[in-house]
Amino acid sequence: MTDTESLEEYLAFIRHQDRETGSFLEIAVRPGAAGAAGATGDPAEHPAGESPEGSPPPPPRLPLPLAVKDNIAVRGYRLTCGSSMLENLVSPYTATAVERLERAGARVVGKTNLDEFGMGSATENTPLGRTVNPWNHDFVAGGSSGGSAAAVAQQLVPVALGSDTGGSIRQPAAFCGVYGLKPTYGTVSRYGLVAYASSLEVIGVLGADIGTVARTYRLMSGVDGMDHSSVDPPPDGGSPDPVRTVGVLRGDLGLTPEVARNYAETEQVLQARGYRIKPVELTTLEYVVPAYYTIATAEASANLARYNGVRYGYRPDYAENPEELVRKARSEAFGREVKLRILLGTYVLRSGFQDQYYTQAQKIRTLIRRELEQIYREVDVILMPVFPTQAFPRADAEGAPAFARLDEFQQKVADRFTCTANLAALPALTVPTGLARGLPLGMQLMGPAFSEERLFAVAEDLAREMPIQFPRSSISWPEWRAAGGGS
Amino acid sequence: MYRSFVGLEIHVQLLTQTKIFCGCRAGFGDEPNTNVCPVCMGYPGVLPTLNGEAIEMAYTVARALNCELTPECSFDRKNYFYPDLPKNYQISQYHAPLGRQGYLDLEFRKKKKRVRIHQIHLEEDAGKMIHAGDMSLLDYNRTGTPLLEIVTEPDLEIGEEAEALLQELRRIVRYLGVCDGNMEEGSLRCDANVSVNLEGAGLGSKVEIKNLNSSRFVRKALNFEIERQEEILERGGTVAQETRLWNENRDQSESMRTKESAHDYRYFPEPDLPHFHADAAFLRNVEERQVELPAERRARFQEEWKLSVPQTEFLCDEKETADCFELVLAEEPELDPEMVVTWLAGDVRKQLNRRGWSLTESPLTPPRLAQLLRLLAEGTIHGKIAKQTLELLFEGGRNSSLDPIEIIEEQGWKQIAHRSELEPFILSVIEQHEGAAEQVRQGESKPVGFLMGQVMKATEGRAEPAAAQALLQELLLGAPPAREPRPESRAGSEATAPRRSPRIPTIQVLSFGGAIAGHRREDGLVEPGDLVSLGELFRQDPDLPEQIVFEEIRLGRFLSEEITPADWSALLTRLASTLEERSVQGIVVAHGTDTLAYTAGLVYWFFADTSVPIVLTAGAVPTDEGERGESVANLRRAVQVAAGAEAGIHVVYGGEDFMPVNLRFERIAPSPEGETGSFRTWNPVGLRRRGAALAPTARSVTREVLTAVLESALRRTFVVRVFPGMPGETLIALMDAGIRYFILEIYDTGTANLRETPFSLRKALVRGRERGVSFFCTSQQEGVVDFSGYVTAHELWRNGAIPMGGLTTESAFTRLVAAQVEAALVGAGGSSDSGAGDRGYQSEEEFRERVLHLMT
Ligand SMILES: [Zn+2]
Repeated sequence: MTDTESLEEYLAFIRHQDRETGSFLEIAVRPGAAGAAGATGDPAEHPAGESPEGSPPPPPRLPLPLAVKDNIAVRGYRLTCGSSMLENLVSPYTATAVERLERAGARVVGKTNLDEFGMGSATENTPLGRTVNPWNHDFVAGGSSGGSAAAVAQQLVPVALGSDTGGSIRQPAAFCGVYGLKPTYGTVSRYGLVAYASSLEVIGVLGADIGTVARTYRLMSGVDGMDHSSVDPPPDGGSPDPVRTVGVLRGDLGLTPEVARNYAETEQVLQARGYRIKPVELTTLEYVVPAYYTIATAEASANLARYNGVRYGYRPDYAENPEELVRKARSEAFGREVKLRILLGTYVLRSGFQDQYYTQAQKIRTLIRRELEQIYREVDVILMPVFPTQAFPRADAEGAPAFARLDEFQQKVADRFTCTANLAALPALTVPTGLARGLPLGMQLMGPAFSEERLFAVAEDLAREMPIQFPRSSISWPEWRAAGGGS
Repeated sequence: MYRSFVGLEIHVQLLTQTKIFCGCRAGFGDEPNTNVCPVCMGYPGVLPTLNGEAIEMAYTVARALNCELTPECSFDRKNYFYPDLPKNYQISQYHAPLGRQGYLDLEFRKKKKRVRIHQIHLEEDAGKMIHAGDMSLLDYNRTGTPLLEIVTEPDLEIGEEAEALLQELRRIVRYLGVCDGNMEEGSLRCDANVSVNLEGAGLGSKVEIKNLNSSRFVRKALNFEIERQEEILERGGTVAQETRLWNENRDQSESMRTKESAHDYRYFPEPDLPHFHADAAFLRNVEERQVELPAERRARFQEEWKLSVPQTEFLCDEKETADCFELVLAEEPELDPEMVVTWLAGDVRKQLNRRGWSLTESPLTPPRLAQLLRLLAEGTIHGKIAKQTLELLFEGGRNSSLDPIEIIEEQGWKQIAHRSELEPFILSVIEQHEGAAEQVRQGESKPVGFLMGQVMKATEGRAEPAAAQALLQELLLGAPPAREPRPESRAGSEATAPRRSPRIPTIQVLSFGGAIAGHRREDGLVEPGDLVSLGELFRQDPDLPEQIVFEEIRLGRFLSEEITPADWSALLTRLASTLEERSVQGIVVAHGTDTLAYTAGLVYWFFADTSVPIVLTAGAVPTDEGERGESVANLRRAVQVAAGAEAGIHVVYGGEDFMPVNLRFERIAPSPEGETGSFRTWNPVGLRRRGAALAPTARSVTREVLTAVLESALRRTFVVRVFPGMPGETLIALMDAGIRYFILEIYDTGTANLRETPFSLRKALVRGRERGVSFFCTSQQEGVVDFSGYVTAHELWRNGAIPMGGLTTESAFTRLVAAQVEAALVGAGGSSDSGAGDRGYQSEEEFRERVLHLMT
């Protein structure tokens, strides 16, 4: 993975295997970006910018190819965010999380597709690429980190970075049947993650193997001077004890029969492996989605205000004055969903309406947090569905059954299981839990703040009974090489 | 009556090394868009990191402005679209600003007020948009510079007051070292809100005015706006709540946006920045950054160094000047503090201005200035040499390595005091002027002054005057002069021990018209004349010290009531050249009685920093009537004071030594003793004979130039004593006739008729203000005018009238004349360098501002 020849070969593998899946928006290795890779020491010991002198470089601890969601900055790569607005923007800097992984030996091999600015649940809200579910090309890969999930499921990369604002890592991970970690808010620096909803989102990991996901997370987490909201996770992850009690939700959760059945199965597997199952009640669950969309769109309305065509990004052919330039750029280059959310966010922040919406949403957020704190006194983690359905058919797919199609509103309502972790700033991990009707299933484990290590332990346990599976169309890099490449 | 409410929002750019949320250099003058990075350019994915220096400076200002410091402050996003704002939101503070409920004590035109500070918050600055033709260019260097916003309560009332607040605030931030206060470069900016309403009806509609980027615009824009709103209300209209933009080219504000289109900034908490906790260690640092603020320092300087208000105001305007002043006195505690101020305000400032340097940038360190002034004070050099030394020091550049003493030695500029060195010069003068020498040998005293002048010329002013004169007399008269003590009885209450070493005085007597210098005609009428007999009169006067040398100069045949600008010019230029020559130890001006109060004031404003006594005296009867009148006694007394009293301006009359300002002559019916009147000092508190001169520049212009400038000043000036029923229109007619400066003698501590009738002064004040006319108010009843006592007084103040405190009409008038002269000459590029008094150079407005500055 280090010499140029094999890198070229590797990129050829990705290009070939991604032809139909469409996970990537850009497939490339930048000499500049790779310069630091493996050359320096432990990023935990030597924060960005400093390198130990005189000591021989330790062996790389993550000598793996890495795919990065295209809303995370890597110097020399484009940073489109899946938007026409930024289609030609090349990033002048690298996100802290990526930089730490590169220092540990990882090589960025490309940027993956997403919903425009992370706004979507299907990686369909983008004019720049077309990503499908590797298990069945008529179905969506999920979103917004659909490209990263599909790339891992297709075995193009062992690990990929995504971002999770309301489920954008965990939902595509479930749809594609891979692991997907949304870390505790603040443990991974957001520096370099293009902001959508700053108080909710985190950079996280999607991977084919729980050990790799855990290692990647450990390498990129920790306080960063460039992000004042970043923190160091406590060394023992908040609790030294292993997970014993798993909370589960009861009652009508609005799940499809396949997902409901899988939820029960997973619970049984855990019970069989010695975990105590305890039903818990999340009374705030029905308020999660409105609160989430209020806060997320409010923050988005400010975060996306900077795209005005003046300094970078899309610029209309002609404008009479600076004001018109801004107006034209924004109306021509933003997609429908983005405009909708900006308008919504602007609305909820208006003076006179703020108390009714934004302030109210913040109150709900506090209630959710408190309720979860209460629950975590009784259980160590909660096992929850990720999404009420499996991957749904793509909008442009012809053969897909109409009944399984979710409209945009249904997609949003369905976010309630994932948004909880974002509103409460908690870690949550999607684990693959099998297949039904030829499509993957996944469940999520949500723990208290900084409990990532304990989530990994449960996931490892579960993996013994429910190992990850890959679509038949996929082929791993060693197999590809052994088979003599694309021939 | 209306009441106006003015609040300011002052933006202070903090002088941090780096920007507020990124590591880019903060500062001016670099190539556009060079101090930028992904963070301040608002690239996708970047995050702000708070600059510790900025937050510390911010709390430092809040603490200095007596704010409640917020223990945990937070940031918010303020959303609005503008091309120069990269993120299209500004990180600011809304929910928990760092400081609240502070205040600033302001003293403006004798009125003290506590202006409340509503809040102080920290935010990031935007970029700069430059419109060039049909292009709009953007410079992001300024983007992200830390900006402190200080929001006052609407406690201000008029533009002038707001301007004063802004200037005091500028001083404070400069003292604290957190901002350079440069309004031209935008490091200090101001927006204002104005609301006018009927007295007692509370706040009216609020109008915001933007783009006030100089303190002058603040004043003009606010007064324009107050006037505009009053007019609307007067017509029965309502003031629209809106934002207006000051157009400096048109001198008016223009509507920018109405309430309906007002911004909704949609503030919400900044998710990218944690709350800032001001912990104990942080607050200790903030405390350590506090300095003695300008107001405290001014008060202390007045108390500790016995300086006047204008002197302390000058010294404390810049911290470096005040520091230098104190360091000089620490270095040389024996120096006269007034002398230090005079030099700092005069020649030092002139040198700095010419080169555009600040004091700390200049080669003149406090020890160097101390050394120079010590050499001057102990007589090693005289004033002219000190000035030349200063000039050479500055010519040596900022890093000049020479100390004053080294320059003086190198140039051979030390004073010649030693007999062996002086003798050759004096002998050669005697040889060249045998005639004059012979007259002295014959007992004439008059030519001594002439010969001394020649000695000074020959030595290029380096001869020590006392030693030179002693030697001159010795060489001519053959006997060493008797070093007798001065007469026991000295004139005047102010007579204290002279600072200079005893020397034989040469007294110059200037005859400036009036009866004192005239004689009574055959028909009994007094005719002005020249003082012909004075030397003769005193030759054998037993009450005068021996060996006094008189120098008589006749300035004209006129009565004091006939004085013209040309006469004053003659007197002033004569005084200037005599002082410059340094050949006399005192000057007596014989004057008429009636207008002495005016001339005394004028001489004070021009020569308050004199190094010798200047004594004005008068008599109502000619001296040729001998001992029958008081004139002879007055003159004798004046000569004594000139020979022995402390340097400064004296007015000697009837055995008393009066102050030169606030003098008033009161004629009474002749008493049996022959007294016909006397002088009185009005509001004597705090008056002085010596201090910084108000109009020093006039001393280096020709008589013709000064005459022209004085004439022009007098043509624009008018003194009005208000009376019940005085029609306001009369004043407007005077304005039409070219009057720009009124001395308004009003009632008591500052009242006049402002009732809405044709006899109201209000209209005249309003019209005057529009036309740039100023009203300086004095009192008919010996009141100290401060406008604090009555409603009508406050109304006068609101309409821009300027209280002259305890000054009498005569003193205020002469001050006004002197101020105009100084403003005209300084504006002309100053002093002897250009030599011109023509005023084509500056705008009427600049001129007026200088005058106002000198008057308040
Ligand atoms: Zn920057």
